[in-house]
Amino acid sequence: MKLNETEQAMLDGTHGKAAQWAIGYQWSVGTFFDAEDFVPVRMIHASTDRETMGDSGVAFLEELAALPSEERRPRAFATADFRGFDEETFRFLLPGRDLAGESAEAVVALGKLGVVTSHAYVNDHSVTAPGFGEACGYSGTPSVVYMNGIVGARCNFEAGPSSLAAFFTGRVPRYGFHLDEKRLATHAFKLDFEPETVVDWGIVGALIGRKLNSYWSVPALEVTGARPTILDLNHMALSMASYGSIAMFHVIGITPEAPNWATACGGKTPTPETISRTHLNEFYDEWGGTNEKLDVVALSTPQLDIPEIVQIAELLDGKKVHPDTTLLVYTPIEIKEACARIGLNQTIEKAGGRVVHGHDFFATFAKEIREAHGWERMMTHSVKMVNICEGYGYRPTPADIPRCIASALAGKVLP
Amino acid sequence: MSEKIIKGHIGIGPTVEGIALAAADNFSTRYDLDRDRGIVSRPSHKLYGDNYVGRILVLNAAKGGVASAWMLREMVQKEKAPLGLLLNDANPVMAQGAAFAQLPLIDRFETDITAAIKSGDRIVVDPARGLVRILASA
Repeated sequence: MKLNETEQAMLDGTHGKAAQWAIGYQWSVGTFFDAEDFVPVRMIHASTDRETMGDSGVAFLEELAALPSEERRPRAFATADFRGFDEETFRFLLPGRDLAGESAEAVVALGKLGVVTSHAYVNDHSVTAPGFGEACGYSGTPSVVYMNGIVGARCNFEAGPSSLAAFFTGRVPRYGFHLDEKRLATHAFKLDFEPETVVDWGIVGALIGRKLNSYWSVPALEVTGARPTILDLNHMALSMASYGSIAMFHVIGITPEAPNWATACGGKTPTPETISRTHLNEFYDEWGGTNEKLDVVALSTPQLDIPEIVQIAELLDGKKVHPDTTLLVYTPIEIKEACARIGLNQTIEKAGGRVVHGHDFFATFAKEIREAHGWERMMTHSVKMVNICEGYGYRPTPADIPRCIASALAGKVLP
Repeated sequence: MSEKIIKGHIGIGPTVEGIALAAADNFSTRYDLDRDRGIVSRPSHKLYGDNYVGRILVLNAAKGGVASAWMLREMVQKEKAPLGLLLNDANPVMAQGAAFAQLPLIDRFETDITAAIKSGDRIVVDPARGLVRILASA
């Protein structure tokens, strides 16, 4: 992997210890993937949530922050999705743990380094996006697949340490989805039905993710019916990423690098594999749970937007969540505050629900929360969360928001 | 039995020798592992309930999101990590995590690595040369 004069100087330590660590680390990853050189980046997003970082990750950040400022100069603008904890809710969810206190060191260290802690999860909703064709160093899986597929920016998964390295070097190894040829569709699908909810779209993503199951696969999808919304595509994309490590996709006639099949596929004309309603229904049937006692409804992943919270408030208005069921509604703090100004949070809380800010259910000790409360059956509209929470010992049922709310009121999984 | 050598792509991390724990399933540190107990915790995973600590995990493809990059190093420091990782296809996160943790990783083999190695095989993983040697079959 070639290093230019500046990169070699970084490796030699001329640009400080942080850049020296970072360029050496990036070189080893770039070499692993046969990158020929680096590509400059302007924007970084670092995944730095407390659960995945662990104590060693926090210690690593603190070591970097403790360097003299001339040894740790940034070379890009960086945000981090450090989840500021909703202290009140977490006193209920995880009694005995001072998560805000446990997170304080990392927040301080990130701030000292010059990273903006945005306290949001899917940063495509809350942080300035890159432009079409721009290389960037994003960390969050949903954000990467969003940037590649929907925005047309160029990015590989640059996970926590990797995005921090890019922060200190202002570049990332040029491999994978920074290369034109790697962005072309490798697999073709078409829907013979019109998904009706974000859950349906999430399942389409899960089916494609399971089928391809490789980061290097790029699905192209032909849809029928109404144009999918950004939220529809977002659920599909993060589900593809979750079930199959997919980081790039096309929807013919919808996403920017796929005006038609030929462009999406580099001149080839593939025969698409059909995804049918039968496949959709089979996925729903995998999870079951109907009529079982319902422990928790977690509406999250991605954190909810204002129209979804309006919908929830309308469904709950004047009603009461069953005392045996916990209803959690996750949203970034900026949206929570906006919703409070128009009375939505109050309606949800009066009904017994909780509006939780600053983090995401699956990413903040969901296993420990389950164990603390003895929870088993959960419902969620996020097909990605179904995937993750099964691994944490939950028995999840995917369902749209109206069915989730109706079930929360009934205290059991309604059909 | 004579030693069998399997070639892969140049990998990451130091050379190690140990016992394999193999399945054709995919792999995510977040989705599949109880990292406190050191066991595979996803019920639908073929290695469900198996202790992976100190074993060389042999699996198909890396899946899921960014979590593994931080987690592998945390697992190494808490002595709840596999000894090495052999995958048919790694993704960037797994490579970034292995490099951060200095955990041996090789992928892109000349054959399906999950079929070539069985649980219980004693193997040597040599990332610098992209080679795996089977010393003894289970």
